[in-house]
Amino acid sequence: MKVKVKRWHGVAVWRWDVPNEEVCGICRVPFDGCCPTCKTPGDDCSLIWGECTHVFHMHCLLRWLQTEGSRGQCPMDRRTWGIKFIIY
Amino acid sequence: MIKIWSIKKDNSAAEKKKPKVSAAQIRVQKDLTELALPDTMQMSFPDEADLLNFNLSITPDEGFYRGGVFRFTFNINNNYPHDPPKVRCSQKIYHPNIDLEGNVCLNILREDWKPVLNLNSVLVGLQYLFLEPNADDPLNKDAAEDLRTNRKNFEYNVKQSMRGKDVKGINFDNVLM
Repeated sequence: MKVKVKRWHGVAVWRWDVPNEEVCGICRVPFDGCCPTCKTPGDDCSLIWGECTHVFHMHCLLRWLQTEGSRGQCPMDRRTWGIKFIIY
Repeated sequence: MIKIWSIKKDNSAAEKKKPKVSAAQIRVQKDLTELALPDTMQMSFPDEADLLNFNLSITPDEGFYRGGVFRFTFNINNNYPHDPPKVRCSQKIYHPNIDLEGNVCLNILREDWKPVLNLNSVLVGLQYLFLEPNADDPLNKDAAEDLRTNRKNFEYNVKQSMRGKDVKGINFDNVLM
């Protein structure tokens, strides 16, 4: 049987490189979704990793760090927050 | 061919028309669905449409405060979970960690709050205050002193106060069922 491809659609799937079914500890929305202030997941709402290995939506974490009570600490372990990396 | 960028634009236009549900409301909704309320706690919502303001009653089944019904109001602001819920006891009770105005001294409601905590953590914390009042971190210094120096006397004072009697010249609310 000979098949001639006349047309094709490319389809791609993306997801953040985090363990399956994990949610942001601050907003409790999955990492593959976006933080509550954003409308679309992806480049506009990226994730941030701390030196302590904890991950959050970047917007969620920045808002926490701006809160007086945060004292610049990770919301999980209360160690001083240091950025390991941000994915854009 | 689906134009993905125009979908994004249409969606965001549609979102703007809807009444805005705040991030705090979304998060509280999630907290409530995950809540495992024990028999000793009951929640009520005076305004069904308002998830951010509600009442909680605790009926301890053991400890000094067994037999009482203790009522609290929860007010959650729009900065939740970055700000902790504001919790007050709506009765005047004799407790080392709750003052006569109803302010509650619980670390996770103050300096140890962090946004990864949820309503369940707060409820468990409150329940714990009635099982194990803590004399080391007092808001009612008299009650704390009694608990530290004379547990029998403290227990007697708790029972008196719960019946709506005076303790050391201060009248307390009757909290018995």
